[in-house]
Amino acid sequence: MLIDIKDLYKIYNEGQESEVRALDGVSLQIDRGEFVAIVGASGSGKSTMMNVLGCLDVPTRGEYVLNGTSVTSLKDRDLARIRNQEIGFIFQGYNLLQDLNALDNVILPLIYRGTSIFEREELAMAALARVGMDDRAHHRPSQMSGGQQQRVAIARAIATHPPIIMADEPTGALDSKTGRHVLTILRQLYREGTTILLITHDDGIAATAPRVVRLSDGKIISDAHQEVDWL
Amino acid sequence: MNLMQAFKMAFKSIAAKKMRSFLTMLGIIIGVASVVIMVSVVQGQNKRSMEYFEAMGDNKIQVYAYQRFETSGSVSGLLYEYCLGMQDLVLGVTPQIDVWREITIRYGAKSFNTNDWDRWEDRLSVVLGSDQYGVCNNYTLGSGRELSFLDIDKSNQVCVLGAGAKAKLFDFVDPVGETIFINNQPFLVVGWYESIGLDGWNELDNMILLPYTFNRTLNDNQQITQYVVKAKSAAATTLSIAKLKAFLGGFITDDNGYYDVSSNNDWANQMQEQNLMQSLVLGAIAGISLLVGGIGIMNIMLVTVTERTREIGIRKAIGAERKSIIVQFLIEAAVICGIGGAIGITLGCMGALIAGKFLLQGMILWPSMTITVGAFTFSVVLGVVFGLYPAIKASSLQPVEALRAE
Repeated sequence: MLIDIKDLYKIYNEGQESEVRALDGVSLQIDRGEFVAIVGASGSGKSTMMNVLGCLDVPTRGEYVLNGTSVTSLKDRDLARIRNQEIGFIFQGYNLLQDLNALDNVILPLIYRGTSIFEREELAMAALARVGMDDRAHHRPSQMSGGQQQRVAIARAIATHPPIIMADEPTGALDSKTGRHVLTILRQLYREGTTILLITHDDGIAATAPRVVRLSDGKIISDAHQEVDWL
Repeated sequence: MNLMQAFKMAFKSIAAKKMRSFLTMLGIIIGVASVVIMVSVVQGQNKRSMEYFEAMGDNKIQVYAYQRFETSGSVSGLLYEYCLGMQDLVLGVTPQIDVWREITIRYGAKSFNTNDWDRWEDRLSVVLGSDQYGVCNNYTLGSGRELSFLDIDKSNQVCVLGAGAKAKLFDFVDPVGETIFINNQPFLVVGWYESIGLDGWNELDNMILLPYTFNRTLNDNQQITQYVVKAKSAAATTLSIAKLKAFLGGFITDDNGYYDVSSNNDWANQMQEQNLMQSLVLGAIAGISLLVGGIGIMNIMLVTVTERTREIGIRKAIGAERKSIIVQFLIEAAVICGIGGAIGITLGCMGALIAGKFLLQGMILWPSMTITVGAFTFSVVLGVVFGLYPAIKASSLQPVEALRAE
């Protein structure tokens, strides 16, 4: 079991009239090498789910075991290590650093990982090459299209070869053609054994995932495996 | 993440926002430059006045004595007699008289006028003194002889030249034995003094010394009121001052005159204290401007943190620890202050050189290593101290909160 959450709550303004239960007693198990789409309308708690699973946020209550380690009791340093080496994030808004070029953006997680200066550039270029962006290594985000920026963001996510990729609406800001390209890259990573968590509100995209977890009002309302044509 | 990488990152982010980085630095630049300039000028001034005292010689006692109804020369005579009586303490005594009346000095075709103020650096002056004038004023004889007691007693028409006067009148010829004309009266040159060698004090070399008995003819017979007594040591100076005061007090009272005895030593000490005070006050003022610069840095860093919250979120999401974020912001602040400090030191050195040229008669004012290194270190420390709060603030955000910021 790679990800194992039990009775997880994320409650804002608990006990007050304005109380919001973004996650309301969620339990979920994900195995190594799965491709899971987490779907739901906006406000269903799917983004909160990813933030908690990705150690970007702390749950109010509940148990979260990642790869055999209980995450809820970890300190900043260990959480930083998990975000750096266990999980690669892909965001809807790319979240590249505007002042750095593509290569430096991809190198950043390698710097935090402590990779030696002689290996970094090579590893980063390899990651860029995997998403077909090695020819734009020295362009800044502002000089690239949305699709290109998202590919650089994917390169950054995979630069440290994390076993898990979490993508939050990765195609949300892209047109359908470049969106498909991004999904193709994610499928490729899945085929190579990476665990993929894809958060989306788009049922069309959800329909192409082998496993779909549906959230509503902070609760899981369905969790189903399905046949997909690309496998 | 190693330190080297952190520095590289800091430079990158500073370079990305050149204008703002420069404006942030401005406070530090001005602060450091003003510290360097102010302290250098005060130190230069201090050095200059100390040089002056050294050249003039220490253990020099200035005596001012004035007596109404005095028969001319009586104080001089009494003082001379008295000083002869304390030879174990005193090296010499001389009246110290500048002749302010216009006098022409001529040798061959060369003619000088003592009131030629338009060319004051080349102006020659006539001073009157005793056979001990050279000893009292730290002159060393180049060749020839000093004035003698007989010259003074008999009002012999002889003179001793300062190095500047010798050069102006005789070029490189040895003047001893030549005759110059002072107000058309022939005076025999009996000796000349080596240069005092003090920049900006040419008048000490551009002088012609005559026996003080010429006070009658050259100075309208004014009363001689100023004397210099040269003591043998600092201790002898203190003792001599007490003795001279007692002696003069014996016949000069508030009713019939006035006297004052003081030494260059006191003056030098006082000057040094004053200079120290000046450096402290000016240093404090400059320090305040540095502090204001530092607060400016803190402001900008706080704005930067708010502006870059998203960046902090991204960095955390891809694996930055709190420590890395703190180090990053601290190094950025320190680098900004360091660069500002370096620019400030450069400007300060230039400013000090310019100030030396115009305020201290062309003195080459090179700021001391202590100030330079001190100002630089201070500005970097300032950056770290004032960068600390914003850095801690930046690092304590939850990644998801930081990512939500726009």
